[in-house]
Amino acid sequence: MASSNSAQTALDMLVLTILSRRGPSHGYGIANAIQEISEEALRVDEGSLYPALHRMEEAGWIAAEWMVTENKRRARIYRINRAGTKQLKAETERWNSFSTGVARVLRHA
Amino acid sequence: MSWLTRLKNALNPRRLDDDLADEIRDHLERRAAELQGRGLSPSEAHRRAALVFGNVAGFREESRELRLWAALEGTFQDTRYAWRGLLRNPVFAATAVLSLSLAIGANTAIYSIVNAVMLRPLPVPQPDKLFTLTTPEADQPGVPVSGESDTFSYPLYEQLREAAGDSARIALFDAPNRVEAQLAGAGAPREELIEQFVSPDGFDLLGVTPALGRLFSGAEDRFPSPRAVVVLSDEYWRRRFAADPAILGQSLTLSGRTYSILGVARAGFSGPEPGKFVDLWLPITLTDPAIFTNPEFRAFRLLGRLAPGATRAQIVSRLQPAFHHHQEARIGQGAAMPPAMQRQLRQMTILAHSGANGTSVFRRTFSRPLWILLGVALCILLIACANVASLLLARSTARSGEMALRVSLGAGCARLLRQSLTESMLIALMAGMCGWVLALVAAPALVEIVSNKTDPVRLDLALDMRVLFFCVAICASSAVFFGLLPAWQAAGARPMFALRHISGQAGRLRLGRLFVGIQVAFAFCLVTGGAGFLFSLRNLAAVDTGFDPKGVTVLTMTNDLGPRERDRQLALMQQMQIHAAALPNVQGAATAWMAIFSGARRAQRVVLAGRQPSEREEVFYRVSPGYFAALRTPLLDGRDFTLRDNDDEPVPTIVNRAFARRYFGRESALGREFQRDDGVRHRIVGIAANSHYGDLRNGPEPIAHMPMKPTRSFTLYLRSTLDAGSVARMVEREAAALGSGMRIRDVTTLETLVGRTILKEKLLAGIGGAFACLGLIQAAIGMFGLLNYSVARRTKEIGIRAALGARRVPLYAVIVKDLIAMIAGGLTVGLAGSLALMRFARSLLFGIQPVDPLVIGTATAVFICAALIAGGLPARRAAAIDPVVALRHE
Repeated sequence: MASSNSAQTALDMLVLTILSRRGPSHGYGIANAIQEISEEALRVDEGSLYPALHRMEEAGWIAAEWMVTENKRRARIYRINRAGTKQLKAETERWNSFSTGVARVLRHA
Repeated sequence: MSWLTRLKNALNPRRLDDDLADEIRDHLERRAAELQGRGLSPSEAHRRAALVFGNVAGFREESRELRLWAALEGTFQDTRYAWRGLLRNPVFAATAVLSLSLAIGANTAIYSIVNAVMLRPLPVPQPDKLFTLTTPEADQPGVPVSGESDTFSYPLYEQLREAAGDSARIALFDAPNRVEAQLAGAGAPREELIEQFVSPDGFDLLGVTPALGRLFSGAEDRFPSPRAVVVLSDEYWRRRFAADPAILGQSLTLSGRTYSILGVARAGFSGPEPGKFVDLWLPITLTDPAIFTNPEFRAFRLLGRLAPGATRAQIVSRLQPAFHHHQEARIGQGAAMPPAMQRQLRQMTILAHSGANGTSVFRRTFSRPLWILLGVALCILLIACANVASLLLARSTARSGEMALRVSLGAGCARLLRQSLTESMLIALMAGMCGWVLALVAAPALVEIVSNKTDPVRLDLALDMRVLFFCVAICASSAVFFGLLPAWQAAGARPMFALRHISGQAGRLRLGRLFVGIQVAFAFCLVTGGAGFLFSLRNLAAVDTGFDPKGVTVLTMTNDLGPRERDRQLALMQQMQIHAAALPNVQGAATAWMAIFSGARRAQRVVLAGRQPSEREEVFYRVSPGYFAALRTPLLDGRDFTLRDNDDEPVPTIVNRAFARRYFGRESALGREFQRDDGVRHRIVGIAANSHYGDLRNGPEPIAHMPMKPTRSFTLYLRSTLDAGSVARMVEREAAALGSGMRIRDVTTLETLVGRTILKEKLLAGIGGAFACLGLIQAAIGMFGLLNYSVARRTKEIGIRAALGARRVPLYAVIVKDLIAMIAGGLTVGLAGSLALMRFARSLLFGIQPVDPLVIGTATAVFICAALIAGGLPARRAAAIDPVVALRHE
C-alpha cells in the first residue's frame, strides 16, 4: 500500500511526521500543518486528506478517537502509534537511500 | 482498525455514515470560522471552505469503503435477499429444507453413533499409547472363521505380562456382567448392576484417578485372601447415591457375597468398553481361584499401555515367544489333541492393535452394519442434494429473465454466483439445524433398537465437536453440490437470448437429466440394498429352528440357598417346575441351564471308544424332564429324562439327530456310550429332532442334553397361552410360596431371545427399507418434475403432432421414451453400485446370492413402478393437449 503511488506516499509521510512531531491532532489541524510546511501537497483538495487518514487508520499506523477539544467542540483526534512510527522510520530510510542513489546518478551522468 | 469495529460498521452502516459526515462537517465549520475571522461574510466563508475541501460526497464514499468490510456488507445484503426470495416461495423452501434435513439428520445420527462406538478415544490420558491384544480365532470345522479373538486365559495373561517386561504394562479386564446387588441395611432394594472384574493395576494403567476414596492397589493382589472391595463408577454414584461421600466403607452384597465400597472412579470414565456403562469394578483376585490356573478358561480382554518410546511392533516381538511357549504347553496337556488343531495352535500369532478406543464387543458386532448405514445415509444425502439442485434449477430458469436483466445492467458473474450460493447456504443452514434436532432424537432411538434389558447397550451420544464438524461439513458440501451448478447456469445467462425467452432451456434440461440420473443411480442402490436386507430377514425368519418359540416365556430364577445345600437346591428347583406346570393356562414347564439363544454355551470334545477326540467341540446342555415337550421339539427315539436322572456315570444323555449322525453315522445311536474330553462317560438314552442352539445362520448343530444339576440360578421355560407378564406374575406368587428366597431375576420370551440374534439384520432391514422408500420417493419427485418440465417445453411440438392426427398411444410413447432416456444411464450406474454394495454386505445377508435375481428383479420392478407413476401424470397431460390451445399459446 505504501508504495502504490508516490503522491500518496508523500502525503502519508507528511501526516505521520506531523503527528509524531506535534502530537495528536484533528483532521483540520493536520490540514493546516501541511499547508504551513508545503503549499503544494494539498493544493488539489483539502478533503483528500480524509481518505488518507482513514486508510492509515485501516493500516494500523494511526488511531482515532472522538474527543472534546479546547473550545468544547467534538472532534476526531488522530494519534500516531508504534506501527506508524516504525512505518515512518522505514519510509524515511527508503527515501534517503533512494535520493542518495538519484543524486549519485545525476552526479555521474 | 480492529476487525470488531469493522464488523460493527458492517452491521450498522448508518452509524458509520453519521460518523463520517460529522467529521467532515467539523472540518468545514472550523475552516469557515477561520475564514470569517479573516473578515469574510459567513456565507462566503462557507462557500470558500467547501471549495477548498473539494468533493465532499466523493471523499466520504472513499472513506466509507475503507472503514467497513464492503464484502461483509455484501454478504448481509445477499442473505437478506436470499431470505426474501425463500419467503416469496415458501413451498419451494419447505420442500428443499425438509428433504435436506431428513438426509442431514440421518447422517448426523448415524455418524454420532459411529463416533461414539468407533472413533472417540477413551477419556483417559494419552489414549494413543494403549493397545489391545488379539489372536486369530481358532476355526472349528463346519463353523465359518470369524476373525480375531480378543479373549485370553489368566495364566496366559500372567505370562504375557511378564514377557512384556519394562516395554509395556498389561492389565486384564473381564467382560462386563449383570449382577444382582443389594446395599447393606434392612429393606434395601435389590438392583441389577453391571459389574466388571479388573486386574488391580487396571485403573493405574489407564490413568483413571479416584473422585472419592481410593482405587485398587497392590493390597488387592494379596493371595489367597484379598480385601473384598469394590469401586463405583462416578455415574452410578451420582445416579444412586446422589454423590453422597458417606458411602465409603459401606457394604454391598453382590450375588450373596459382601464387599465394602473402597472408592469412586473419576467422572467421565465408565469402563474401557464403549457401549457399556460399568457401575462397579471388582478386583480380579476376588473371583473363583480356579481361573488363575486354568488355561482353558479364556474370558479376559487385555489392554496394555506402551512405555515411552516403545512401539506395538516391539511389543508383539517380545510377546510372541511367550505366547508360543504357552501354546506348546496347551498342546502337551491332557487328552491327545487332533493334529489339525495342534498345527493351528502352533501357527497362531499374537497381534497388537491400537487400544485408543478401548475394547468393544459391540464395535466388533456392529461396525460393518454401521458403516453400511452411514453409506446408505450418504446416498440419501446425495439424492436429496440432487433434488434440491433440480428445484433450484427450475427456479433459476423461471427467473432467467431477471438474471439476464441484471447481467445486462452490469452485474458481475462472480456477484451473481455468490448470491445464488448464499441462497443454497441459507437452505443448507436451515436444513442443518433441523437435521441436528432430528439427530438428537433419532440417535438414541437407534441405540434403543439394538439394546435390551439383559445386554444393555448405552452409548455416550453427547454430540461433540467431531459430530458438529461432520454436520457442518456435510451441510456446506451439500450446499456447494446442489447450489453451484444451478448458480453457474444462472450466472452464465446470456442477456440477449434470455430477454427474448430462449436461453437456458436446453441447458436446464441437460443439467436436469444429470440430476435425475444421479438420483436414479443412488435410489436404485438403496432399493436393491433395502430389498436385499428385507429378503434376508425374511429368509432368517423362515428358518426352521426345530422348536416352537411362540408362547414360550423364559424366566431366570434364583434363590438364597447356600452352595452347600445341594439337595435342598435340587428339590426346590424341581418343586418350582412342578408347581409352574400345574398353573392354569400353562401347557408345559421345564428347567434348564442358561437359556438357549442367550449366547451362553458350554462346548466340549467328544471321544468315542478307540478313536481320537473329535476336532469340533459340541454343545452340552443341561435340561429337565419335559424340556422337549415344552419346546415342542419331537423326541424321535428312546425316553425323556426323569426327575431321578442325575450326573452318575454313565450320564444319561439325549442327543439330537445331528449329533447321532456325526458320531454314529447310519448306525443306531440309542444305548451307545461316549466320553467327554474330561473323561466323563455318557450313555445315549434318547434321540431328539434337530434344533438350533445359538443362532439361525448356521444349520442345526449337534447337541448333547444332560440332566439338570442343582444350581442357584436356572432357566424356567413355560409354554402358555398367556402373555409373558401374566405368566411372570403367576410364577412370582408360586416362587414366594416355595420360600428360600426363590424369585424371578429376569423375564423374557423365547421369541425375543431368538429375535435378538438377528438384531443386526433387523436394524439393517428396518433402516435400509425406510431409507430405500425415502430415496425412491425423492427420485420419483425428481423424475416427475423433470418430465413435467419437458412436457411443458414440448407443448408446441406435441400440439402440432396432435393436429396432424397423431394418436394418443404414440404421444404416450414420446414421453415414455423421454423417461427411459432419462433413467437408463442412472439405472446402469445404480446396478453396478448395488452389486458392489451387496458384495460388501455379504456377511450380513442370509440366503441371498451376490447377484441375486430375486433381489435385483424386485428392486427393478419397484423402481419401474415408481418411474411409471412419476411419468404417468406428465404423459397424460401431454396426451390431453388440445392442438388448438397449444398452437394458440405461442
